[in-house]
Parts: sequence; structure tokens; C-alpha cells
Amino acid sequence: MLGNHLLEIKNLKIDVRVTKTRRLSIVDTASLIIEPGEIIGLIGESGSGKTMLCRSLVGTLGRRGAYIASGELKFDGIDLITAKQSVWNDIRGKRIGYVPQSALAGPNPVMTIGAQLAEAILQDENFPKSDVEKRSLELLNIVQIRRPETVLKQYQHELSGGMKQRVMIACAIAQQPQLIVADEPTTGLDVTVQAEIMELLKQIRKDFNTSIILVSHDLPLINEICDDIVIMHAGTTVEKIPSKSIKASKHPYTLALYNSRIDLVLPKGQLKTINGQPPSVGSWPEGCRFSERCDFVKDKCRTKQDLPLIEIGSNHQTSCLRYDEIAR
Amino acid sequence: MNIIEAKDVSVTFDSYGDVIKAVDHVNFVLPKGQTIGIVGESGSGKSTFARVLSGLQIPTSGSVTFMDKPIQNGKNTYEGALRKEVQMVFQDPYGSLNPRMRIVKAIAEAIRQHQGLDKKASRVAALDLLESMGISNLDAQKFPSKLSGGQRQRASVARALSAQPSVLIADEPTSAIDQSAQAQLLGLFNDLIKKGLSIVLVSHDLGVIRYLSDYVYVMKDGIFVESGKSEEIFNNPKEEYTKKLISSIPGRSTK
Repeated sequence: MLGNHLLEIKNLKIDVRVTKTRRLSIVDTASLIIEPGEIIGLIGESGSGKTMLCRSLVGTLGRRGAYIASGELKFDGIDLITAKQSVWNDIRGKRIGYVPQSALAGPNPVMTIGAQLAEAILQDENFPKSDVEKRSLELLNIVQIRRPETVLKQYQHELSGGMKQRVMIACAIAQQPQLIVADEPTTGLDVTVQAEIMELLKQIRKDFNTSIILVSHDLPLINEICDDIVIMHAGTTVEKIPSKSIKASKHPYTLALYNSRIDLVLPKGQLKTINGQPPSVGSWPEGCRFSERCDFVKDKCRTKQDLPLIEIGSNHQTSCLRYDEIAR
Repeated sequence: MNIIEAKDVSVTFDSYGDVIKAVDHVNFVLPKGQTIGIVGESGSGKSTFARVLSGLQIPTSGSVTFMDKPIQNGKNTYEGALRKEVQMVFQDPYGSLNPRMRIVKAIAEAIRQHQGLDKKASRVAALDLLESMGISNLDAQKFPSKLSGGQRQRASVARALSAQPSVLIADEPTSAIDQSAQAQLLGLFNDLIKKGLSIVLVSHDLGVIRYLSDYVYVMKDGIFVESGKSEEIFNNPKEEYTKKLISSIPGRSTK
């Protein structure tokens, strides 16, 4: 039963076409709920399906040859799976803003920043053209770009990495969306710039009550700015936990991820690493997909079964079968 | 004893008539068996300086010495037997391995070149070396595209080590790989340090620098604004810039 959440993803399965008849699942049983004004961190290793999940929210899966095979995906009551192109046109960029991965390749290299912002602003066909420049400057001010008048006339190669990412955020918030999907917005940027971008996202949430999905593989970062954390492993969501209680996690993967932080050990101390490699798409183990790498694995984890998220506390869900036996 | 010493090194680039000082009269020493961290933001000149140390970039002025001998001779650097003493690990694990060579072949080639072994022996040595880096014999037969970022970066380290160098220069080795792979790679570096390798570690990730380094140089706009023992820099930074860098580490402010 889907209630009145801003975004609700339930048991989503995303497949890619490999050949005419062969299909590979890259996301399977992913579930996620977002309320208005909430910042959710989506975390997982490379190849765990974070980016594909984000793409399903802006309807650009098809460009990668992928499609939603089953599950539910609702945004503010609208079913996004069956949505027609005309419905998408009202949602993509207007009600859901998208900040894509890799800031450095973000803005279009053959358009000035001004032209690009104008395009984002004029998605709203009723917007008076005479006000476009004023609105562009306003947006650049929101994302705290200095000398906005000059930046409007510049091309992306004239800007630094942090500024490019700010421009991308400005484009994403041009229509004041209810949800921003930020896919690894700070990967490849310096720590100081990263801290500034995170401040900016928090400020936007505060000013416009926007919900944000922040994708990253940097656990300390996510832990610092998000309300809740959703952990993905091998295409499935394995745990949802409030960031304050991350230490009380009830999933071995989350614990392993948390314990591999380098700021937890003394210099040159023994680092705790996660066993093995993430399972590759198409060769996921039956049953729990973390079972091959898990220290707590029992025979029952390996039998073929669905592992939905189980509610085990306020706002805390895990998919581990042995959650009640796991202690730190 | 200092294994590498840089005195008064400057590098300038011409850019449409402007002269850009990427590295501006800096001094640097790498004592034997130590790990030196160089930290700074993008554009501070740390990568250029690492390239100078590894001989890939010829400084505009100043000199670099290896064991008290200058590394530069005309336009060449690290000639003859010196060539294999200093090896570099690059930032991008996706772009630094030949995509058309199986991992074991790429490493065996480097071993053949540097250690003078024949084809068969170099292959065995390559498999051993990769095994010690945590890459199984099975994975060693694969092409780079079939390996994860962390595995590729470990293969890059293996290739650098195949020359049996005394100095390893690592330019942002962990910035393109994810957290659990990073922990594995840092554990590997830690083992190398214990074996007595001297390392220059360039990064903007202060967590990585704090974990491995004995001594840290903080770089800004082409100069070292602060340098000191690792604990001192992190516990008691003097420069405003260093304080700002440290306060930006995620998780630092909440502890």
C-alpha cells in the first residue's frame, strides 16, 4: 500500500537487455521512501546500482538500454513506471532536479553558462523571456558564485571544478524542484570545495524545503549531512538507518563499511577491509548477496529466498536474516 | 640520510603570454625509509612537483638530487642504473594500464626490462608479485577492463615495484577508487613501508595522508606553506590554510 510519501520505491527491479533474449538484472528488490525536506544518503561500492536507481527517477534508463522490470515507483502519487513522455516532461527537471555524476564533464562545452541556465529556466514555457537574465543571476547567487555577471558569459572550461558543480546545481534548482537527485556531486573535488558544496545543499534544503538524494561512496561525508542512510549492495538496498545511529547498524555489510574508515584507526594501524570483491552483475549468489563476504554467514543465508527490508526499530530497516544476533 | 633532495625548485608554464608559476622556489627532502605526504588543493602544484621528483618534468630552475647525485643530465633524467630507483603510481587506474595487455603480461614486461630475466622467469616473478599484491593467478590472466578500480590500482603498484625501486611516488593513488578498495590499498602501502620503501604520497585526502605519512608538506599556490611531523600538523596546525583543510574533513567536526 503506497501512502503519501514524496517518493516511494518498492521492490524495484531494473534489467538491461544484453541480447535479444538474455536479460541481466542490475537492480533487484530496491526499496526507498523519502519525505518532503529530507536528505537521504545512498551509499554502496562501485557497481552496486546506485546510479541506475537514480536514473530511474529521471526516466533516462532507456538511454543505457535498461528498463524497469517490476516493482513500484511513485513520486507524489504519480506512477513513474507507466508515465507517458508528456507526464515526464512535467516532472523531469521541473519537479525532480538531477545533478549528474562527474562535475568536471558537467556543463555543455559549447554553450555559455548563461545559455545553459536560460534553457533550464525556460523549461517553464510561461516564464517571461525578459526576466531570464535576472533569474539566472538570482540562481548563481543562490549557489554562491562570485562575479555572476562574468560567469554568465563564460564557457565551462573557464571555470574551476567547484564552480562547474555549482552551475550544475543552479540548473537543477532552476524550477524549484521538490526533489534533487545528486549523483556523487563531489567525487574528484577537493575537501574544502566538497565541504562548501555540502553546505550549499543543506542551505537549499533549508530555504526551499527540498528533498535531496545524495549518492556517494564516502561514508563519513554521508554520515555528516544526511538524515537517513540507505545502503546498497549488489543491486539491492540492504539497510536503512538514521545517520545518528549508524554505529548500531544491524547489517554486516554496513558494519564492515563503517569499520573500513581510515579515520577510525591510528596512523599505520591495522585497517579492517571487507573480504573479497563485490559480486559482479549476473553472478550474484542466491539468497543473501553479501553471504560470500560475510563474517556472520550461516547456511540459512545461502538458501534461495527474497530478502526484503524488515522493520526493526523506528526508521530502521535491515535485510539481514541474523540481525538480532549481530553485535558490534 | 636523504634519498631525494630538491633545492630551490621552480616550474613555470607559459600560457598565452602569461607566466604561471606552478612550483615556486621550494625545498624538499625525502629521508630514507620514510613516508612524506604532500597535501594541497587542486592547482596548488603538488602533481607538478611530484612529476619533477620522478623526473618526468624538468624544472625551470633549481635542482633535484638522488643520493647526492643530480638526477638531470641535459634533457634526460635518471639515466642508466638510476632509472629504476624511482617509480611512480598514477592517479587514474583506468587509464594507466595498457587495455590490450593481460595484467600478467604487462607486469612481466616491466620485470624483463628492469631485472633482466628471460620470458618464462619474468612471468613466474610477475605472478608471484601480483599474488603478494592480492591479485590471484586467475585474475592476473585477465585484461584490465575485467578488473575493479582497486585491483587495477594494485596492479599499477605491482608494475612500479617490478623495478625494485627504493622510492615510490604515488600521485593521488586512492582518489578514483571506493572506500573498501581504498582500505585494501592503504594496507598494502603500509606493508611496503614496513619493508623499508621510501614513499612520496601526494593527495588532497587528509585522511590518507594522516594514516600513512611520517612528515607532511602543505602546498598552496606553488609553495609549501607549512611542513612538519604528521602528528604536529594534524593536532596543532599553525597556518590558517592548514586549519581550513583539516576542518573540511567529513566527520571531523562531529567528533
